[in-house]
Amino acid sequence: MNPAQVVEAILFSSDAPLTAEEVARADESLDEDVVAEAIAALRREYEDGDRAFQLVEIAGGHQLLTRPEFAPYLERFDTVPRPARLSRPALETLAIVAYRQPVGRIEMEYIRGVNCAGVIRTLLDRDLIEVTGRGEGIGRPLLYGTTGHFLEHFGLQSLDELPRPAELPVVLREPGPLEVEPAAGE
Amino acid sequence: MALTPFDAGAREGRELFVVALERFEGPLDLLLHLIRQQDIDIFDIPIATITDQFLKVVGGIGAEELEGAGEFVEMAAMLIGIKARMLLPHRREDEDEDPRAELVRRLLEYEQVREISSRLEVMEARRMRRWAKGYVPPRPRPEPRDTPLDTTWDEVWEAALRVDLPRPHAPPRVTTRPVSMEEKIALIRDRLRAAGRIEFSRLIGSWRGRMHGVMTLLAGLELARRRQVRLRQTRPFAELWLYRRAAPAAESGNAGEEAA
Repeated sequence: MNPAQVVEAILFSSDAPLTAEEVARADESLDEDVVAEAIAALRREYEDGDRAFQLVEIAGGHQLLTRPEFAPYLERFDTVPRPARLSRPALETLAIVAYRQPVGRIEMEYIRGVNCAGVIRTLLDRDLIEVTGRGEGIGRPLLYGTTGHFLEHFGLQSLDELPRPAELPVVLREPGPLEVEPAAGE
Repeated sequence: MALTPFDAGAREGRELFVVALERFEGPLDLLLHLIRQQDIDIFDIPIATITDQFLKVVGGIGAEELEGAGEFVEMAAMLIGIKARMLLPHRREDEDEDPRAELVRRLLEYEQVREISSRLEVMEARRMRRWAKGYVPPRPRPEPRDTPLDTTWDEVWEAALRVDLPRPHAPPRVTTRPVSMEEKIALIRDRLRAAGRIEFSRLIGSWRGRMHGVMTLLAGLELARRRQVRLRQTRPFAELWLYRRAAPAAESGNAGEEAA
């Protein structure tokens, strides 16, 4: 039995990403460096061996996941419950929480222009956001932040993988010549 | 919210403003749509035009849907407010901020949120093309940390006091009918054979107890269903009469069915 096998067994048995540190806790013979080395070896092995799964870095940890090209087959094979896709209100609210955290409900509602109470409840229930503290001001409003499960849900290694606002193409177009159109019906 | 599609502008034959309110996440979404679709410079929004267009779309909201559309109405009011301030003569150049400034800032911010959320959607889809191992147990709901109660303890206490305690052991009760319907059917037949018709109250007159009344009524209904008895009551709560019916064959020509 070599360390890589122990690490492999642990990763195989887990249904969530594990950090090298978590894996190392399994046995005294393991430390983070040994685990990291084993993980790198396993990753190469799976790639070279043409496995149907890969060792993927997700939410700060490592997880065995099938390769995307097998999705069409697995979709037909519905033994594994899949989380439901998020709605647009949920995605918009998550976007705000991800970038503005810690952030309160009033701010989310001001940015989206609509009530967010229901969608916050949904995101809490799905463990995508959590209460991270209380704000100052009247009633000391609850503040929310994203969870580790948020990273897992979107397959992110960390929040740094979210697009930087500067990379976003949408907002700052050159102001063009103003063209005032008559309102429809006038 | 379920809002009826409203095709403002369609009458003028302009596809531009064929807008279904339900497609939009909110007033900012709708405003952005109007601005971007017409290629309007967001830093110099023709506020009068946009306000009119916005009102045309929002005008399609019926009164019964207003509750879900309050945010649209609120935005409409804000647009009208900005429009009004634009009409006021400017004081000094440096004094007043452009009345549109905060709206523009919000629109740009919301547009960014929209862009990020569509990227998140792509990431989600990409992640969903990979499967993790086997069965994933449902996650326990996270412990609410320091979540405040909207209600006070006094209110909780008061509500608790209003609740009746459940009776510790209510043994299941099976009741038998002390009076059988068959008995009552026989009784009705007997009396009708003698008299031809009889009042319901006379049938139960000699017995006390609700069950006798109930079973007598059921028996009467059963006999009426079997077309052996006709029931007649001239008005609600008046005396109920039971009539003997002739044999079905002889009765078939009788159209005057006056059963209650």
